[in-house]
Amino acid sequence: MKIVGVCACTVGIAHTYIAKEKLENAAKKRGYDIHLETQGTIGTEDELNAEVVKNADVVILAVDVKIAGMERFEGKRVIKVPTTVAVKSPNKLLDKVEEVLNS
Amino acid sequence: MELEEFLDPQVIKVGMKKNDKKSVLIDLSNVLKNAGYIDDAEIFLEDIYKRESIGITGIGNYIAIPHGKSAAVKKVGVAIGILENEIEWETMDDNGVKVVILFSVGNDPNGAETHLRLLSKVAQRLGNDEVVSSLIESKSVQDVIKSFKTA
Repeated sequence: MKIVGVCACTVGIAHTYIAKEKLENAAKKRGYDIHLETQGTIGTEDELNAEVVKNADVVILAVDVKIAGMERFEGKRVIKVPTTVAVKSPNKLLDKVEEVLNS
Repeated sequence: MELEEFLDPQVIKVGMKKNDKKSVLIDLSNVLKNAGYIDDAEIFLEDIYKRESIGITGIGNYIAIPHGKSAAVKKVGVAIGILENEIEWETMDDNGVKVVILFSVGNDPNGAETHLRLLSKVAQRLGNDEVVSSLIESKSVQDVIKSFKTA
């Protein structure tokens, strides 16, 4: 599975980056290809390139705030959750993603 | 600057004998003040509690990451407290907390980008289970710093 996504929390200091790490680790364990961009106090990091977005099967948004660049995901399957879900149960989130894609 | 240089032994405490959230936060705020990261521990604490009121900072696995932006902050930094006993905290897995990571961040990110980036790296490592178990077991300041190299 090819996943792209964005993490962005309220303050933009901590949860954003923890969510990214947890999701990436969980996805890699399953052998998925994952690219996550962060939008935080320091701005956008690991920005998704258009090619990667184009080829993605699904977009995961682990966000608590409005994010920039939503238009990039038009026409894509988007799953949006609060950052806490990605931090707390990244595996359950990926289960849900699989479920949505297979339905 | 590397992450290991950013982690300042002056603001890392191991074997903390505190039994509640408030006294840990007060203690770590004073540690930050004494090391010159903040100029007013009371204002800093108020801003930390403002962030606490928005949502849970206990990220599970016995780790808490209280933080907030505060005018009392002079320098971006991270205070780390390893507790001797588990304390109560609002957490995502309903366990208590054994490690408190307190970020000091000013209101204005301009000019602080390098340090904020390092702070984001600290946060990111906390999403890694190996780093977390190593932190919980830390008996010395060096153990704490080494934990962040685990992943």
